[in-house]
Amino acid sequence: MNDTAISHETYAQRIGRHFLADSFARNGLRVVIALFLIAALAPFLANSHAIVRVADGRVTFPIFPSLEPIEWRFLLYVPLAAIVYFLRARFSRRPRLHFLFLIGLIALIEISLAMTHPVNDPTNDRDRPASFKLMPPIPYSPIESGPDQFSPPSWKHLCGTDSTGRDIAARMLHGARTSLSIGFIAQSIALLVGVTLGGLAGYYRGWLDIGVCRFIEIMDCFPPLLLILVAISLFESQNNMFYIMAVIGLTSWTGLARLVRGEFLRLSVQPFTLAAQAVGAGDFRVIVRHLLPNALGPILVAATFGVASAILIESSLSFLGFGMQAPTPSWGDILSDARRYIDFAWWLAFFPGLAILMTIMAYNFVGEGLRDAVDPRLKVK
Amino acid sequence: MTTYLLRRILLLFPTLFGITLLTFLLIRLSPGNAALLKGGGGEGGGRAMTAEVREQMIKLYGLDKPPLVAYADWVGRSLRLDLGNSIVDHRPVAAKIGERLPLTMSLAGSALLISYLVAIPLGVAAALKRGRVVDRTISFVVFVLYSIPTFAAALLLILLVAGGDYLNLLPMYGADSINAPEMGPFAWLWDRVLHMILPVTCLTYASLASISRYARVSMLDALGQDFVRTARAKGLPERLVIFRHALRNALIPIITIFALELPVLIGGAVIIESIFSLPGMGQLMFQSLDSKDEPVIMGITVLAAMVTLLSYLAADILYVVVDPRITYE
Repeated sequence: MNDTAISHETYAQRIGRHFLADSFARNGLRVVIALFLIAALAPFLANSHAIVRVADGRVTFPIFPSLEPIEWRFLLYVPLAAIVYFLRARFSRRPRLHFLFLIGLIALIEISLAMTHPVNDPTNDRDRPASFKLMPPIPYSPIESGPDQFSPPSWKHLCGTDSTGRDIAARMLHGARTSLSIGFIAQSIALLVGVTLGGLAGYYRGWLDIGVCRFIEIMDCFPPLLLILVAISLFESQNNMFYIMAVIGLTSWTGLARLVRGEFLRLSVQPFTLAAQAVGAGDFRVIVRHLLPNALGPILVAATFGVASAILIESSLSFLGFGMQAPTPSWGDILSDARRYIDFAWWLAFFPGLAILMTIMAYNFVGEGLRDAVDPRLKVK
Repeated sequence: MTTYLLRRILLLFPTLFGITLLTFLLIRLSPGNAALLKGGGGEGGGRAMTAEVREQMIKLYGLDKPPLVAYADWVGRSLRLDLGNSIVDHRPVAAKIGERLPLTMSLAGSALLISYLVAIPLGVAAALKRGRVVDRTISFVVFVLYSIPTFAAALLLILLVAGGDYLNLLPMYGADSINAPEMGPFAWLWDRVLHMILPVTCLTYASLASISRYARVSMLDALGQDFVRTARAKGLPERLVIFRHALRNALIPIITIFALELPVLIGGAVIIESIFSLPGMGQLMFQSLDSKDEPVIMGITVLAAMVTLLSYLAADILYVVVDPRITYE
């Protein structure tokens, strides 16, 4: 035995090391990060407005006035999150001050967004003469109809065009945003409901546990999609992204609740929990500070798989015509268009199908990698 | 065992009650009702209905009652095995579902059967060649299959092999050809099989993927057990060790997951039927959701929930049947 061999690695660091050692998981994570970057930068990757335009001796940035508030949010919050992450050491030194500063910054952003309105400028900068212009890589907007209908993939339209001449590549890039955000937020809702209900059932047991278990059973006995279809198709507000997120989230929390309940049942009789209770920690403190951190690994794994299935559900819904309605671009929406022109327009089915496949696979690889990293015993060597 | 079964069967009722109540409230709490939709709605549709007729219809179908009273009525009727009549065409719900059920069940059933027949050899092969090229190839392919959304696969398959500008081997839509009524029984059967190849394929591959993953893990687990080592140690040929000792034990958990796959397949059939325009339960579901045909939606929900509950129950019973070591006491 060698005493110096004691590892100073934290739990999170160990999981990170195991995770990154798995090449599938690593590449899956890369794809997921790339997808999020694409979603965040979609307006700069596919837009009919120039990023920089020099004409008549004036320099303009036509792309910025056309941005929607949600696009500004992506643009501003992603770097903000990155800055907070990299400065987290400094942040934790004076948490209260920095927290106030952050709240102020967010308030400032939101207030200025509330006051500005996007300029809907139908002209495009592709054909407008200018002494210099820098166009996005795909110089088309996702909702912009063009003269070329059903053009197969070519250098002009990388993924072809649809029935109204809209550029599929542009729609795909902007659709990534719909799919990813619905997957992410729907799963966050599921996480909140599942962890709360499962945690309470596992910690307090008794009647609460019986009630929650019955409820889970009822939710589980709806065949997949059936409840979601009923809930979405019967209410009028189909076009509302948040409604769809809420319905997907509120119907897919049962697996998480089962998991958390099981973990809490197991953890709540362990010595460290009893010790915490013995020194007088309240229920809330025991749950949040002792039980939850110990159950975090498996929860994270389940949530990762959950995002993949939420994305799949969203695209199925859009495909069936129950999801996001036109003109909002979404991968499922392109696919449902493909259905009408299936005898010749293969590009309408192929590219969005491939995008969904890659996203789901990436998330599944990340999930598998995380599972192996969290519990190395499960790894089948 | 009998006590256990009785308790399980009794527990089915509160669950069914919860499912139907939830569905019923969802239908009732959503804006609009079947009578309004049928009468052309508020937008002045083509077949505008006088207010009087509409009132009559609302009365007739109990749409004016408070939701809980109407739900109690529905439960009362259902207990007498009367699911009511469709609001749209006044035909009994049971008959409407009955004529759609065989297609959906045969779709889900054949998909389940085929995926088992393909998945178990795949999983076993992967387990036997663990870590080698065979295992890694199978695992990767299965993983890719698992991630392909059904509808995207269905679209690409239609595009490639059914009609259109490419291969034209299989029919694109429907369950039968237009001239099916004039066909002889064998020609009809062959026609039906041709129409079913693509839908069944699409439904099969996803559950094939998950079953073969289960099969691999389960087989690996069995191969690591002591009785396999004992069998090898007493000099049994490897073939007997694998097929008689390891495989039989590995099959126990695999058989029981059919219960988990069946509801998934039925859910998947909804999408598949809608893509291939098959006149099954999925299509009926969409039609009745569109017209808010309350009795039909309720009927389908009850049926789907019953199938799910019963297959969970069947899985638990099967567990005991295939593995006598397990008892529920």
